[in-house]
Amino acid sequence: MEDKCPEPIHCKVPAAARRRAAAVCRAAGEPLTVEEVVVDPPRAYELRIKIVCTSLCHSDVTFWRMKVRIAGPISFPIARVRVIFGHEAFGKCSLLRFPFSVLLFENFCALAEDSAWFGLHFKFHEKDVPNPDFLWPVIRDRVVESVGEHVEGFAAGDSVVPTFLSQCSECTDCKSSRSNVCSKYRFAVRPGMPRDDTTRFRDAGGSPLHHFLGVSSFSEYTVVDVTQVVKVDPALPPPTACLLSCGASTGVGAAWKLAKVEPGSSVAIFGLGAVGLAVAEGARICGASKIIGVDLNPEKDELGKKFGVTHFINPKELGEKTVSQVIIEMTDGGADYCFECIGLAALMSDAFQSSREGWGKTIILGVEMHGAPFSIPSREILHGKCVMGSLFGGVKPKQDIPILAEKYLNKELELDKFITHEVALKDINTAFDLLLQGKSLRCTIWMDK
Amino acid sequence: MEENTEKMPIRCKAAMSKVAGEPLEMEEVEVAPPRAHEVRIRILCTSLCHTDVTFWRMKDLPAMYPSILGHEATGVVESVGDGVVEVAVGDTVVPVFSAQCGDCADCLSDRSNICSGLPIRPGGMPRDGRSRFSFASTGEPIHHFISVSSFSEYTVVDVAEIVPGGIPHEMACLLSCCVSTGVGAAWKVAAVEPGSSVAVFGLGAVGLAVTQGCRMHGAKRIIGIDLNPEKREIGKRLGITDFIDPNGTDGRTVSEVIKEMTGGGADYCFECIGSTSVMAEAFKSSRMGWGKTIVLGVSNDVAPISIPSHDILRGRSVVGSLFGGLKPKTDIPILAQMYLDKELELALEEFVTHEMGFDDINTALELLTQGKCLRCIIWMDGAREKENVVKVKPKENGRACEAA
Repeated sequence: MEDKCPEPIHCKVPAAARRRAAAVCRAAGEPLTVEEVVVDPPRAYELRIKIVCTSLCHSDVTFWRMKVRIAGPISFPIARVRVIFGHEAFGKCSLLRFPFSVLLFENFCALAEDSAWFGLHFKFHEKDVPNPDFLWPVIRDRVVESVGEHVEGFAAGDSVVPTFLSQCSECTDCKSSRSNVCSKYRFAVRPGMPRDDTTRFRDAGGSPLHHFLGVSSFSEYTVVDVTQVVKVDPALPPPTACLLSCGASTGVGAAWKLAKVEPGSSVAIFGLGAVGLAVAEGARICGASKIIGVDLNPEKDELGKKFGVTHFINPKELGEKTVSQVIIEMTDGGADYCFECIGLAALMSDAFQSSREGWGKTIILGVEMHGAPFSIPSREILHGKCVMGSLFGGVKPKQDIPILAEKYLNKELELDKFITHEVALKDINTAFDLLLQGKSLRCTIWMDK
Repeated sequence: MEENTEKMPIRCKAAMSKVAGEPLEMEEVEVAPPRAHEVRIRILCTSLCHTDVTFWRMKDLPAMYPSILGHEATGVVESVGDGVVEVAVGDTVVPVFSAQCGDCADCLSDRSNICSGLPIRPGGMPRDGRSRFSFASTGEPIHHFISVSSFSEYTVVDVAEIVPGGIPHEMACLLSCCVSTGVGAAWKVAAVEPGSSVAVFGLGAVGLAVTQGCRMHGAKRIIGIDLNPEKREIGKRLGITDFIDPNGTDGRTVSEVIKEMTGGGADYCFECIGSTSVMAEAFKSSRMGWGKTIVLGVSNDVAPISIPSHDILRGRSVVGSLFGGLKPKTDIPILAQMYLDKELELALEEFVTHEMGFDDINTALELLTQGKCLRCIIWMDGAREKENVVKVKPKENGRACEAA
């Protein structure tokens, strides 16, 4: 299909009031450069989204600093450069194609003539007319946003969150309640769009820039497949909505949907980053009676209490004992549920050993930062233990994000406490520093400040 | 129950494991009377399970020497200790290595079958950790094996590990471990639904019992994997739909073949051998999204199971269980009923491939280690003639799993 309407957007329009930019990674582990990029129009089944704000998740960091190829389905070529990272975000989309209307068409032409810039940057097919309700803010913003063909269910100005996980709603997995991993558009770390593997980004020099997880939210505009976009309640504050597109949903989902923590359970959480604390929050609303947090950073002790953590363990302060020994003592046999929220094989094994015989469940959420396998002693698993893993905490994006949003809006779920910092896009590297130094949970990066 | 003043030690024959991997030696042993909450049983028949073999070969802990192995059996209650009301002298019972005290958090929950009230104490009885066996000649104590020790004419078992029998003895014997483990795993641990696809790694007695269990629960595709190509026939008789010989796959891995056959991986993969590398292969053969790997095999635990960390993120899980997740006292009677209820076709007879006397117990070890049998039923002296109510089977009945 060819998208007949819009032109590529140059995200730094000379006459415009605001700058359009993206933060590009040009070398693994090096600061991102904020520069002008060109964002192509969406193709069939895609939407172009104006990002309002985005936040930094440790998975961005993991892949940002990865220099070597990792064997297996998640791999990243050596010296992956020219990537736009970011996958936790909130934005707005708008719809361009509407039924033909002569009256509107004439008015539109008049407007187009009045606005030289607008006329230059917007080309439309005679059959297509923008939604008049949308027109005024569009002209005011001097931006036209667009969707590709075959996109239904999205309207002008919709509040949306992009997700790294697809939900096509058609495949066996999407149709089943047992799975949240769409098998039609499988999750993969690939440089292009999911359907055709090509990129929608170019830098000022015309060189292609790579996507990240099909989201690439460190950009004022991005193009996302319709299976990876979720409409959310506009009443959600943007930074909070942002959290639901990855970290908060992963953690809360893991406790609520995947583990199905029951009231009175004991829970151990390895890693009190945003995901681990979201697990704590999820365990709290599920009525867990004991929430043990394990973290090397002693400051997480005080912070954890705000999220419902009842006991804190710093592995460096245990002397001779191991973490699992301490947890087994605290829970009189082992925790009902253990969550690994870091991405280190040794901790996955520790988490497994800390779980209770008989019914203890270990849930792996962390993305192993070296791709290393983790070990399970086979005799131990025979004693009724289970280990499971999940992307996105078992959450089906289009179905469950709105449910979590509602839990937040009716004050059942508390998410504001995750946001500890905010910066403008130009200072995005500060967000990286804060996270790497363990000083932030979630730093909101505003596009428009 | 009033104290039995005639409780005396009994002298009898037992097959001793003295040195790792060496043939068992018949010795005269003394079996102490049962203490409180214990039952002394006269064994009628016992069978050899591969877990006995695994421990028989093991040089170090948790294997202990000298010991009396064996944990699959049927017996008759000879005497009871104080506080035993569940069974009486003369009752036919099945001892089980997995306790059900009925009072602890695990016994009271349906999520667990690992009794925490009476955990297994290596080498001894669960309540006091001590042995009821000693050499008749020297009085030197002999270690128990997982609280059963059925390779003896008499043994002492805790009442929490006794289940009333009720079906022919050699069938009841199978319910004390292998068949319960396999059928239970399909029924309770995996909870296989109709239409599922299943892969069973290892078609020994446990794997074939898993096959039966999956068939009974409506699995549509049951892929059996075994290095012994002769397992294909018995596998098909018991319900497998496809057979894979890992040496006959033209260089592809077993998981590649299974993923192709099932369009992405099986819903449930069962490891019924006790090899950690097979457990890892079983994991790889499971479907993304909801694929479950169930570990049943008891390994010698030299190497752990290695799970690829990124692969597990895609909705897969690994779970292990002892005794197929079954609670012995609650569930063995249900399985016995399934056997009697011909509709369900729990073909216990197919598992019994050989029968022999107690003195030939080392033959059973040879047959099993050579892959030539499923279950050898070892009858204690005098038990077969007097007690057996089913017609006696020929010693070797030409099953497919025997090598020519």
